[in-house]
Amino acid sequence: MSVDEFDPAIERLFARAPAFADSAQFEAGLAARLNKSSRFRTAALSVAGLVGGVIAVREVLSVDFNFAASSASAGAAPSAAQGLTMAGVDGGMAIQSLMERVGLTGLDLSSMGGMQMFWATAGVLVALLAAGVVKLSQQI
Amino acid sequence: MAKPLRDLHDVELAALSAAGGRREFGELVRRHSPAVRGLLRRMGAQPALADDVAQDAFLLAFEKCAEFRGEGTFGAWIKRIAARLYLKRRSRDARYVAELESDEVAPSVDSVGRMDLDEALKGLTEAERLCVSLCHGAGLSHPEIATAINLPLGTVKSHVKRGLDKLRVRLEPGSVAHGSASHVG
Repeated sequence: MSVDEFDPAIERLFARAPAFADSAQFEAGLAARLNKSSRFRTAALSVAGLVGGVIAVREVLSVDFNFAASSASAGAAPSAAQGLTMAGVDGGMAIQSLMERVGLTGLDLSSMGGMQMFWATAGVLVALLAAGVVKLSQQI
Repeated sequence: MAKPLRDLHDVELAALSAAGGRREFGELVRRHSPAVRGLLRRMGAQPALADDVAQDAFLLAFEKCAEFRGEGTFGAWIKRIAARLYLKRRSRDARYVAELESDEVAPSVDSVGRMDLDEALKGLTEAERLCVSLCHGAGLSHPEIATAINLPLGTVKSHVKRGLDKLRVRLEPGSVAHGSASHVG
């Protein structure tokens, strides 16, 4: 065998994959590790989403408290708080109409206050967002 | 009707894997894991370590499947990932290198006195074996090998040349039988 023809020959030898008797075991082990890492990622994202949601809600609550504290002195603050309340009412009406569409007409959300409705809507949105992120992470 | 997995090209399987397809990725593993495991052993990894690194390489490939565009073959891509992971692991664990250097296995030959590649590689030094495997098994260029194993380019070229010279002698039909006879005599 000459030097010139040796390189292609050794390339071919390297390209020839050896057969392994435990291939199935190797593949099963890899699948288990893949599942484990996926579960870990789902759990980590869920926890991160939950922590992030709690922090976000807490921050918004503290903003609300500031509104309440400054409402006596500032004229603009009550209008901001009022806007928040209106947003809650709008959200509540949207949820009410959605529930009516799915046949839950017996539930009357209009008895809830504007702020309660706002928090309920925010809670539902956070939950939906968290579920979406988890679903997305599973697909990725 | 969807094509059976075995009829799909690697590029199609990689694209489906990038979208989260576990079954499609499983098919890629079935196709390429023997080559990856074989390469790592040829580079000098002990079987348990070779399999561990091979699994790490496939896990990484699953994460990065979207980066595989099909410019080269999937086999070459995953082998490069595995080779680089092995080098990282190897440089991290100096003790393992010492084990390898002291590991001597008597080569076996076939009926016409010719070794197979795996046996022939055992006759090379650690550095020669690594450089030849990285060059001809993982498809890395000499400069890439030099960077990966932190050796001067000239040294890498020498290791590859010396390793190939030794392999040429050992893989020649009947060469081992003659060599053994001269030792006995």
